[in-house]
Amino acid sequence: MSDTINIEINGIPVEVRTGAMVIEAADEAGITIPRFCYHKKLSVAANCRMCLIEVEKAPKPVPACATPVTDGMKVFTKSPLALDAQQSVMEFLLINHPLDCPICDQGGECDLQDIAIGFGKDASRYNESKRVVRNKNLGSLISTDMTRCIHCTRCVRFGQEVAGIMELGAPGRGEFTEIGTYMERAVSSELSGNVIDLCPVGALTSKPYRYTGRPWENESHAHVSPHDCLGSNLQIETRRHQVMRVLPRENEAINEMWLSDRDRFSYTALQHEERLQQPLIKQGSEWRQVDWETALAYAIDGLQRVRKVDGAEKLAALISPSSTIEEMYLLQKLMRGVGSANIDHRLRQSDFSDDDGQPLFPALGCSVAELEDRDAVLLIGSNIRKDQPIAGHRLRKASRRGAHIMCVNPVDYAFNFPVDENIVVHPELMARELASIAKALLTLTANAAPAGLNVLLENVESGDAHLTIARHLQTASNASVLIGTQAMSHPQLSTLRALALAISELAGASLGYLTEGANAAGAWIAGAVPHRRHAGEHSPLTGLHTREMLNTGMSAYLLLNVEPEQDCANPAAAVRAVHEADFVVSLTPYITDDMRAYADVLLPVATFAETSGTYVNAEGKWQSFAASASTADDIKPAWKVLRVMGNLLDVGGFDYLTSEDVRDELKGQFETLTPTLKYQWQCPAVMPTKVSKDLTRIGHLGMYSIDMVVRRSAPLQATADAQIETAIVHSVTAKQQGLVAGDTVRVSQGGESVTISIAVADAVPENCVFLPMGVGGAVLGDAYGSIELAKV
Amino acid sequence: MSNFSRRFKSLFLSELRTGLGVTLRHFFKRKVTQRYPEEKTPLSPRFRGLHALRRYPNGEERCIACKLCEVVCPALAITIESEQRADGSRRTTRYDIDLTKCIFCGYCEESCPVDSIVETHIFEYHGEQRGDLLMTKEKLLAIGDKYEAEIALARQEDANYR
Amino acid sequence: MSLLQQRQASKTHLLNAESRQDIDRWVAKYPADRKSSAVMAALRIAQEQNAGYLSNDLIEAVAEYLEMEAIAAYEVATFYSMYDRDPVGRHKISVCTNISCMLCGSDDVVAHLEKRLGIKLGETSDDGRFTLKEVECLGACVEAPMFEVAKTYHGNLTPDKIDKILDELD
Repeated sequence: MSDTINIEINGIPVEVRTGAMVIEAADEAGITIPRFCYHKKLSVAANCRMCLIEVEKAPKPVPACATPVTDGMKVFTKSPLALDAQQSVMEFLLINHPLDCPICDQGGECDLQDIAIGFGKDASRYNESKRVVRNKNLGSLISTDMTRCIHCTRCVRFGQEVAGIMELGAPGRGEFTEIGTYMERAVSSELSGNVIDLCPVGALTSKPYRYTGRPWENESHAHVSPHDCLGSNLQIETRRHQVMRVLPRENEAINEMWLSDRDRFSYTALQHEERLQQPLIKQGSEWRQVDWETALAYAIDGLQRVRKVDGAEKLAALISPSSTIEEMYLLQKLMRGVGSANIDHRLRQSDFSDDDGQPLFPALGCSVAELEDRDAVLLIGSNIRKDQPIAGHRLRKASRRGAHIMCVNPVDYAFNFPVDENIVVHPELMARELASIAKALLTLTANAAPAGLNVLLENVESGDAHLTIARHLQTASNASVLIGTQAMSHPQLSTLRALALAISELAGASLGYLTEGANAAGAWIAGAVPHRRHAGEHSPLTGLHTREMLNTGMSAYLLLNVEPEQDCANPAAAVRAVHEADFVVSLTPYITDDMRAYADVLLPVATFAETSGTYVNAEGKWQSFAASASTADDIKPAWKVLRVMGNLLDVGGFDYLTSEDVRDELKGQFETLTPTLKYQWQCPAVMPTKVSKDLTRIGHLGMYSIDMVVRRSAPLQATADAQIETAIVHSVTAKQQGLVAGDTVRVSQGGESVTISIAVADAVPENCVFLPMGVGGAVLGDAYGSIELAKV
Repeated sequence: MSNFSRRFKSLFLSELRTGLGVTLRHFFKRKVTQRYPEEKTPLSPRFRGLHALRRYPNGEERCIACKLCEVVCPALAITIESEQRADGSRRTTRYDIDLTKCIFCGYCEESCPVDSIVETHIFEYHGEQRGDLLMTKEKLLAIGDKYEAEIALARQEDANYR
Repeated sequence: MSLLQQRQASKTHLLNAESRQDIDRWVAKYPADRKSSAVMAALRIAQEQNAGYLSNDLIEAVAEYLEMEAIAAYEVATFYSMYDRDPVGRHKISVCTNISCMLCGSDDVVAHLEKRLGIKLGETSDDGRFTLKEVECLGACVEAPMFEVAKTYHGNLTPDKIDKILDELD
């Protein structure tokens, strides 16, 4: 059978793929067939009947979405029979649909409106009463008006097929069918916002956007997601220069047509009450609102003073990994210009011992789209479903294709795909598990072990699970070993990385990172690391990494989009460090009481939507964007602030006019240097095999606590994923500690403590306390460190 | 006309008499001039004057913030902001009409699905200060409240022709 | 907690051993990865175990037992008229009011039943003896009008015949 066949639609010859449905052929040929339930990314349901068309020799109209093409088929979409069928279906659909378009948020972008105009009759013959359906509460993101539902079941199929958990269903029958969740539970999927786009009518709409705007008055701006390393493409819609809502921009190579809730709703934080509106300087203990000149002069003065008194090596800069590459490049240029290489973006990392062996930037090892072609994937310290929802979706697609997904995690995370081998161990034993997998691989493969590995693995045993993982990785033609975001704060990260490298090389798999923030790759390229300049060049001047900076105590800090009490691996130490510093300049979009306490200058900068810039995603793709929204006059894009600071500090080469100038300078050097840095095998010195007797904290990084913006988005903070208010321990540990679920305990770590209630779940390994970063306002110590519990 | 007859008419002032005749005739005819402002011309119920926002008899404002008037306005004189009110209904938080931009085309009134924004028969308004001609939601509702009886009557009279 | 594997209190214990055995027999008829195919039989078995109706917990128990989402089982339980989600009387009278029965006089049957039992369609008598239920076609159009009581079809109904049938019930 040939790959394509020829059919005729409305007399136009069309060549289509064998097995395609008529509606696909028509779409390709640009012929419009009205539809509600059909969606190219979802399975065919054929329950709305809107796409009825006439096919030659068929006795009655057939649905175009469920009719496969056959050779020589003659289709008529505009024949009297087809039009009559479509008009009749439209009339039925409108029977129970309320005429409340003026108050409906879908008005103006509603498929039902458009199709009723294009394919409906001019009047209704229905005079009986319409049905009314009670609205369902689906949580803080999705607003419902269920009377408007036409039962296309796109949302139900989305849950089953894309999000991976069937939360919405269609109970009832016929006229009594109602879309809803089981017992009115809130929808908890991290991709749930997509049902808003999918819903062809106004039954499911955005709750934060509710009743605030109309599609025709919004301006659309292409943008890039600032919250994860994939760089999902966004469409930011603004009205009068304010962000009204965020929609996905279709890009098959990255986010297809989906968007995670985090990317979709984080804009709600842009008008947060904590937004800093004017530069502030602290004189004595008084905060004073000043103009930019004064604030910058004061900041420069302070930095110069520290530089003179304590030396440039006492200056430090911390930058959020979600800053743009321009900001990172300028900040490192500024720091190195004044003679300090103390700059880092790896705020949550705690093991830096393998810095020199790192590649040019932590890459995914394959493109985002290729993730779904993987046959075997080993996740290390990753909650990919929540950390990078779009990548999680790609893996789910791979899994549905039959890929084996395996993980070594410190917590039994709930994935939306089946996990073939799920190794959940005490964080300190993760390295041992990886070693066991490596050992199993050594028995399977003829590949030579990297130097020193054999010695290291001498006392390591491998079990069935390890063998299975090894076999899957080795036999797969496309295999990936992915180091996840949760592993970044791990105290033995270098060992995990080395073993992951060994595993990937032995199995012939690609090694990849799922980095934190939107621009970790860009940070490495821009040189926002202490040991390398931009484009991976060796830095003659080596600085301190985050941990050293915070532990040795710097005299002055320059912070960009950083809240040390939330963003660092060891918040307690970070807060101590900035408090003890002589001078702290913080470029921040928001102001908190903590900032007032430790900072000396607060400079209001733009958030992602209000600045132009570039993000480099985990596959190394540079994506630039212009500012979508404007801000109050005294809020400036950070790259402009850094540019002026560079000039005021008399560092040469800060005469950029646009952010594109900055990017082009960096990109030019990046391309001429064509750096070829690869992961370098560095044999771990010892194999950690023992678990400490103390309780160990698992400082999980919640998907809604990753950056300043997300933490201030009220609708996101109201979701189940953000509502973690307990510490969780294993039932055995609970028994040992004499605790039962619901007990209140005092958790102490790093000299700080917090009172919190306890939940018991065996998803957490024994002898561990699952206590995510920032829960209950906790400013504690290391994400993975010993921790004490005391019953209150 | 010959040169002679023209001269004859001029000599006996016949043009003057014809002209005075017209004057005299109109002297006794019915007057058409209205002595504004003491006298007023009748206005059609469709007259498009100052805008007003109406309420329902129970006091609830009619406007549901559908924004059709805003989008249809050819002079971009209307600015609306809306949100969900505490009771869950869709309402405006801002409804401004800039009368210096408005061209009184009446499209806003035509587009309104709930007969909320209407144009009254009031045309004798003025502004003494900058901003006086910027009508806010409060001002528009106040006009609506004051003239509701007349507005309702005008709508009723016009209803037969719609 | 939603980010961890859901380890909620299991509800499968609500199904008694006999029911489970019965369900297992149905599950065995389908491929191993399609356990949910047995949902209709499983719901029926659960309903029989529970005096003729399904509680929400029981629906969840069935869903959990068949490794499917609760909402999917709930969809099935609400779709078919043979499942009841409220307590029913000792005798459930399922009256067909579909087209054939309607043409042959199901309206009279319903009127007679309502009068005799003193309850409306969809109600249960106060003494807990009878539940009157309107159902879709039961596939016995040949002897319309008809109803079903305790898995027995009674066709060609007349008021006298109905009275006789009801008299025989305890």
